[in-house]
Amino acid sequence: MIDTINQKKEVGKMARNMISLKAGGPAGSGVFTIGAMFARSVQKAGLNVFYTADYPSLIKGGHNACYVRAEPNEVWSQISTIDILVAIDKVSVEKHFNELTHQGAIIFDSDNFDIKEVNLSSRPDILIFPVPMTTIGKEIGDRLFSNVVAIGAICALINHNLEKVYICLENQFGKKKSIGTSIVDNNKKAVKKGYDYIKEKFNVNFKISIEEVKADPTILLSGNEAASIGAIKAGLKVVAEYPMTPSSSILSFMAANEYNYNIVVKHTEDEIAAINMLCGSAMTGARSLTATSGGGFSLMTEAIGMAGLSETPLVIIESMRTGPSTGMPTYTEQSDLRFAIHASQGEFPRLICAPGDVDESFYETYKMFNLTDRTQTPGIILMDKHLSESSKSTKPFDTSKLKIERGKLMTYQQMENAKDFKRYLLTDDGISPRSVPGQPNGLYVSTSYEHYEDSFTNEESYMRIAQVEKRARKLNSITEDEIAPKFFGDKDADLTIVSWGSNKGMILEAMKWLSKEGLKVNFLQILWIVPFPVKKVTEILTKAKKTLMIEQNFDAQMKGLIREKTGIDIKNLLLKYDGRPLDPEEIYAKVKEVMAK
Amino acid sequence: MTTTVNDVSNKNVIQWCPGCGDFGVLMSIKQALAGLNLNPKDVVIASGIGCSGKMPHYVKTYGLESIHGRSLAAATGVQLANPRLTVIAVGGDGDGYGIGLNHFIQSVRRNVKITYLVHNNMVYGLTKGQTAPTALKGTKTSSTPHGSIEMPINPIALAIAATGTFVARGFAGNLPHLSNLIKAGIQHKGFALIDIFQPCVTYNHDQTFDFYRQRTYDLQAQNWDTANHMEAYKKAWEWGDKIPIGIFYKEERPTYSDELPQDKDLPVALQNIDNVDITPLLNKYY
Repeated sequence: MIDTINQKKEVGKMARNMISLKAGGPAGSGVFTIGAMFARSVQKAGLNVFYTADYPSLIKGGHNACYVRAEPNEVWSQISTIDILVAIDKVSVEKHFNELTHQGAIIFDSDNFDIKEVNLSSRPDILIFPVPMTTIGKEIGDRLFSNVVAIGAICALINHNLEKVYICLENQFGKKKSIGTSIVDNNKKAVKKGYDYIKEKFNVNFKISIEEVKADPTILLSGNEAASIGAIKAGLKVVAEYPMTPSSSILSFMAANEYNYNIVVKHTEDEIAAINMLCGSAMTGARSLTATSGGGFSLMTEAIGMAGLSETPLVIIESMRTGPSTGMPTYTEQSDLRFAIHASQGEFPRLICAPGDVDESFYETYKMFNLTDRTQTPGIILMDKHLSESSKSTKPFDTSKLKIERGKLMTYQQMENAKDFKRYLLTDDGISPRSVPGQPNGLYVSTSYEHYEDSFTNEESYMRIAQVEKRARKLNSITEDEIAPKFFGDKDADLTIVSWGSNKGMILEAMKWLSKEGLKVNFLQILWIVPFPVKKVTEILTKAKKTLMIEQNFDAQMKGLIREKTGIDIKNLLLKYDGRPLDPEEIYAKVKEVMAK
Repeated sequence: MTTTVNDVSNKNVIQWCPGCGDFGVLMSIKQALAGLNLNPKDVVIASGIGCSGKMPHYVKTYGLESIHGRSLAAATGVQLANPRLTVIAVGGDGDGYGIGLNHFIQSVRRNVKITYLVHNNMVYGLTKGQTAPTALKGTKTSSTPHGSIEMPINPIALAIAATGTFVARGFAGNLPHLSNLIKAGIQHKGFALIDIFQPCVTYNHDQTFDFYRQRTYDLQAQNWDTANHMEAYKKAWEWGDKIPIGIFYKEERPTYSDELPQDKDLPVALQNIDNVDITPLLNKYY
């Protein structure tokens, strides 16, 4: 039998604490639980973790896969190879066995299919571990436990301490009550049975083992979670949102915390209602947020212009997915950059930033609330599916330097003695004092119509010109330091990579390998897009010997923007638009190709 | 302090046609605000686009002139952020029953505390005389030169069907009645629809002031039972020689904000946000 033959194969050198794993199965089979629970458990063993998921837009069936990578050092992204494949169904083996490293392992539910039906003849090195997960699950009481059996089986293979999984199960299910034996106990039993099954049936000597390491505590969370927490830290008070992948988890995160943090969370009838509600709530002084993806953002565009003209600070998270139109709803892309910059008719200042990892999702979201309040204009946080829905471990957020800044928002006390208040007063910095309903002496109309300083409708040219210029001046209040790009690697490099968004992680992974080979590569990450950090980008790119632009779109939108803003044209391009995130291997290969030119 | 009509009036130049029904609505709003002795700083009037959309500029309160069809969404945002404010939304029939119809139905079922005044003149005015969602079947306009083919929307019936808690109709040519209706709407706990016959003197020569003067009668003068849901629905369809105005249906139900503990002590817009502790949120990620 193929499994017994494989197990007896001599196993190569043991690798400690470095693992890359994938779990696959139909939607609804619990594969994400396998990945998420395992990820959390190795985090508890002191490792750094990256977790991501690949799934189609359906509720049951299809093919879902999740991916976990853990190492003692910071892990920035997935890599394209895996050491263990957990397969709930045959499709998962067929799709992913070739991603396995030499002498990698397949753990599969032998109740669901016979692995002999898959032609693995090209990979005789692969170790095969059939586990009757469904049968074991049923023995405990429900086939639903079968995915948890798989976690136990993984642990057995890599000698991972079951206690770490138990803690995760307690955290996850501890609060849920069930009839008779508790859910936690049953899940623990399932893990233990999966573990014992491998240990008893197979003489395991797998190439990877996990041993607990002492490390500073980390938090493991997704871009959406980090951005949500950043918004809450910034004093978020109103959320109006319509669900749309990959932003929907922000709505549920906020709803789950609406009472703890006194946030009014409204699932609206559509995205038009969401953004228009924000124009009302933000005008009333509440820090306000909506989140959506490209389709919903399209519906919001008209009201974004209203926020611009009425000078209403509000924040929109736009998590990009594969477009246009419905596109590939659950896959990643960075093709809304130009759209975000130009969304809505007419000209008005706006703010746009694009976080590249979970830390930036937190800090830049926080900063966005301060800057939109300062400039009294809408702000867009451009994320992408790969950032929104992938989790990474990182240091706990340092909030000691964070300070709420509300710009020229007037307090009740300030307004009590206000005279001749003009909401759209022409000022040197373009920013006018802002009263809110309820305050005395501050009456005005927050208006979508061009207006005089007192907010009354205006169509005369002198005031039109004055108000256009006043609004445009507002962004001058933001310094280049506040919107600085990030720079990684040696100043003197032979190649400069330029990119933005979630590509950051994969680029930093690729740079690890490149630097091991002695190749001198650095990386310029554009973090704030509007306003654009012209000076710093120009300075870095002027000095660069060779440049390579990496983006997840067809039109090289950021490359075009850089050329528009700096006059510098980046010649080498790595563009990807198949909906899948770049792998570090692709970047590594492209860099070598460009450097060899 | 007592609020007078003067206190809520400003000197902005009014841009409506002479004789427009909007003047009646404007005066009724002012009378209602004064009658209820509301402080202008605690009132927000939200509008969309259209002739009615100019309303916030003509009443001395806070205002929110939003975009076409979105007055209710914008007004809801104000209400969610600070339910202590008095929020009035105004719109036309195109704004509220055409482009903004979804928000209308959702706001009704939400019972968010907004008084919604719809300037219903059965025609598009500001865009110069096209058909409206409330135009009667057969109405000839510049966009329906051969007569409108669709049945009109019946906003009263629609609001009753959507679990409305205050469903009423006024007439811009009957100021005492309309201002009392608006007062009752503002005092109502929840969403109050006041559909207003507001003759467009420029583009609608059928449904004129005279047309309504001859036909309208006050339901309250006939001791109409405002608590009977089914009878109110039937009444909503009465049209012809006699057309009812007044309150069709009224019920007490908690407002949307009543169900939000988030602002029980203080509206969320007024809460201090300086030191939000996110430690409990982060704990689950260790």
